[in-house]
Amino acid sequence: MENVSKSFGGVCAVDNMSLGFEEGKVFCLVGPNGAGKTTLFNLITGFLHPDRGHIYYHDRNITALAPWRAARLGVGRLFQDIRVFKRLTALDNVLTAFKNQPGENALISLINPWRVAREERRMVERARDLLSLVGLEGNEESLAEDLSYGQQKLLSIARLLAADADVLLLDEPTAGVTPVRIKAVLDLIRKLADAGKTVAVIEHNMSVVYEIADWVYFIDGGQVTSFGIPNDVLGDPNIRATYMGL
Amino acid sequence: MSYFLHILIVIGIYLILTQSLNLLVGYTGLLSLCHGAFYGIGAYASTLLMMKAGLGFLPSLLLAMLATALLSLTISIPSLRLRGDYFVLASLGFQTITFAILYNWIGLTEGPYGISNIPRPTVFGIQVNTLVSFTVLSSIAACGCSLLLHTISASPFGRVLKAIREDELATMSLGKNVIRFKVTAFAISAAFTAVAGSLFAGYMRFVDPTSFMLSESVFILSIIIIGGAGNFPGPLLGTLLMIILPEALRFLAIPDSVAANIRQIIYGALIVLIMRYRPSGLFGEYRFK
Repeated sequence: MENVSKSFGGVCAVDNMSLGFEEGKVFCLVGPNGAGKTTLFNLITGFLHPDRGHIYYHDRNITALAPWRAARLGVGRLFQDIRVFKRLTALDNVLTAFKNQPGENALISLINPWRVAREERRMVERARDLLSLVGLEGNEESLAEDLSYGQQKLLSIARLLAADADVLLLDEPTAGVTPVRIKAVLDLIRKLADAGKTVAVIEHNMSVVYEIADWVYFIDGGQVTSFGIPNDVLGDPNIRATYMGL
Repeated sequence: MSYFLHILIVIGIYLILTQSLNLLVGYTGLLSLCHGAFYGIGAYASTLLMMKAGLGFLPSLLLAMLATALLSLTISIPSLRLRGDYFVLASLGFQTITFAILYNWIGLTEGPYGISNIPRPTVFGIQVNTLVSFTVLSSIAACGCSLLLHTISASPFGRVLKAIREDELATMSLGKNVIRFKVTAFAISAAFTAVAGSLFAGYMRFVDPTSFMLSESVFILSIIIIGGAGNFPGPLLGTLLMIILPEALRFLAIPDSVAANIRQIIYGALIVLIMRYRPSGLFGEYRFK
């Protein structure tokens, strides 16, 4: 993104910010509350449109794209407040995310139910695998609202994986997840990056940042104030004083 | 016997109305107050096609479905960016406008005088001119429409509608074109409503705008609220309850002068109680907020 700005009323949430993410790497976005990190994700995914500046996905300008178009291009999003489909089962939550389902066309589901059923069987298997990957095996038929907060977070990760995005924007993926599961989530994030995905993570837990980040952006007041490897950025005495109170 | 068959016919017509509204309310989470308008558009469209264009019942019905689906775009496209209460108000506006058009476009609809002597339906060469044959026709239509609507709602298309109902932004973030899904759901729902309208016109042999007023939309929505939405049994059992209950009340010794008022009081009280103690209706999946 180049020189992107976004204000709400008189408050400048993102101020002339330029940054980029690279394939196969994990970027952590660190900074105090209200620094503009979530606004940044909202801008990239099309939920907000910038007042100034441009956002590119590869060479394509996606600045004013609708959220669903950005997602179709391959920009996936894990929300800070989870946003699972509460009255749908865990399995249905994941199934909804798969792309190019013939049964999503009402006419096809009427005139060719056999094709839809065949495709559905294939997707159910994949969805079960993904639920198992995040540790939710046995909860397939549970309503999402009946799962614990941490399980809902894992479910939203499984849903994101089903969407098969190339760019993964993860807003606090480990918040509320048990320590045992955090390790699994971090391993998964690393695997995804190794498989060539671009991963950007908003994270407040510094041990998580040290463990997964290849690069760290420190954001404050809507601007990138520091960029580098975790040791350099988080070891900066100014950042340690202002952000961590050390 | 005639009375019993009449009840069955009415149940068949309302089953189509409630199952089609269920696609909007229960699956997509759009609280629509203009189903009576689509019902009326379907009834008038098939009537006019039969009487003015000289078409048979089935071609008129199919064209009425198409016309109603197309007319649904006039409300769905501008108003589907609205949510919650704002959408309810927009649908209320559409209902009011449709009634005003049916009432005042006298050259086309005969306005408040209504259209009488609507021909009895003829289906595949068989004239449906007895109560028994009409009961068969409305039952077949109700079963067929319910089956098609159930197939649609149980498909991945229906799953996306449910996802939209639960969280529109999250659904968008998965690459689903939410507006397209909503417009399609609206058009399908409206098209099926036209089937009910055509059956009503063919059965009553008379249509006038007062059959398609806001009170009709409210009544269809009440069936969904009381029976439940977001699944198949809710609207089915709601329809049976709400059609049979007032008929059962006839057997109580209530004077005719107050019977209608008591019926309204019972509906109102039922809705208040359901909203308070069972927000997903008696048998529904979707919880009204």
